[in-house]
Amino acid sequence: MVNMKVIVGISDMKTSSNVSDTLITYSLGSCIGVVIWDPVVKVGGMLHYMLPESRIDRERARKNPYMFADTGVPALFQESYRLGAAKSRLIVKVVGGSQILDPTGLFSIGKRNYAVLQKLFAKNKIIISRENVGGSVNRTVSLDVGTGRVLLKISGRGEIEL
Amino acid sequence: MSRVDEILALVRHVPPFPKVAERVMFLIRDPDVTAHDLAEVIQYDQAITANVLKICNAAYFGLHRKISSLDEGLVVIGHDILKDIIIASSSARFYQGAVGGGYGLEPGEMWRHSVASGIMAKILVRHIAGVDQGSAFTAGLLHDIGKRFLSGFVADELTQIVDKVEKENCSFVEAEKEFLGIDHAMLGGMILDKWEFDQPLVEAVRGHHSPDALEKEALTAIVALSNSLVISIGIGVGADGLASELSGRGLKRFAITLEMLQLCMADLLVELDRAQELLNICMKEQG
Repeated sequence: MVNMKVIVGISDMKTSSNVSDTLITYSLGSCIGVVIWDPVVKVGGMLHYMLPESRIDRERARKNPYMFADTGVPALFQESYRLGAAKSRLIVKVVGGSQILDPTGLFSIGKRNYAVLQKLFAKNKIIISRENVGGSVNRTVSLDVGTGRVLLKISGRGEIEL
Repeated sequence: MSRVDEILALVRHVPPFPKVAERVMFLIRDPDVTAHDLAEVIQYDQAITANVLKICNAAYFGLHRKISSLDEGLVVIGHDILKDIIIASSSARFYQGAVGGGYGLEPGEMWRHSVASGIMAKILVRHIAGVDQGSAFTAGLLHDIGKRFLSGFVADELTQIVDKVEKENCSFVEAEKEFLGIDHAMLGGMILDKWEFDQPLVEAVRGHHSPDALEKEALTAIVALSNSLVISIGIGVGADGLASELSGRGLKRFAITLEMLQLCMADLLVELDRAQELLNICMKEQG
């Protein structure tokens, strides 16, 4: 079987029920990648959002909900349910949310991106099973839809399984 | 010869920045300059000529007929876009091939980062007064030119540099300077100086990694901010990741809020989509 690479861009989301697909998103800086997978129906999804809250530009959020955490995350889960995934079975992994080095903390987009996600998950009783967030590194993450294997690559430091 | 001497010797052999760019920029200052006058100069640079035609025939302009002469093309695109094309075409030749490999950048990534930074710099002109869009775009496009020439040296020391960054939580340029005796921003400043760019541009490139860049000259602040945002979004980022230091203290001076920065990031994605042709300038020449 040919392994198909499905690229998730910046402010983008993809789901798949094709066991030969690998969802991948490159170069997460302050952006966050949310990876979900249902081991029973083998449905996977990946969201790469850039900003925490859609209230800064509702029109843009309407055109592209995947740009923001508060509009992108619900869209990701709903799309996976449409493919047969169940909330109770979904394994959730989170990657990204880095920051540049700023002693004043004014460039805190990465942190805010993560904080909004935590709030959203707490409200909806979703538990993160694994995560690799924060710091000042650049991350690439992939999900093998057939096996649920999530690989995390950190620029300059190699690849690990998450 | 010490390592620094070896690196500096390299600067002496950096090829010149295309002369056409300088002459067109000079001509364009005269509002009455005709498309024909400009074409007379541009026609001698094949790459720029081809790019002008390619871009004015791109879908973006939505023309119903094909433009095949430079004179006609120049009328269609206007001076602002012409400036962008000329600077982009002139810069692109330095970013071709497998450049930036020492920084862990894939081919084409350095160009993507440069174009994105140039566009972000233009977006930031809205919030930072006293800088014209052309200078912002040029400085953004060329800010990492030092990486192009330092990459091979970084490759030799990458493990040590990355280790230092990880253990001491310092910036990548700080480690770069420690192991090589010079960093890519300093080197970039020297190259722009050699190319006889205006001093504010030279300073902006030299100072784009200074932690207090936002408190310096407006153009330096723009380039540092633009680079930081593009790195945060993750466009053309290598082993240096987000290990770049910039104090947010200077944002107050321009009355820039975090929300404004977020909107600039959102705008960049839209602008980048529209700038595909500019991005392709380099990619197509590579293929």
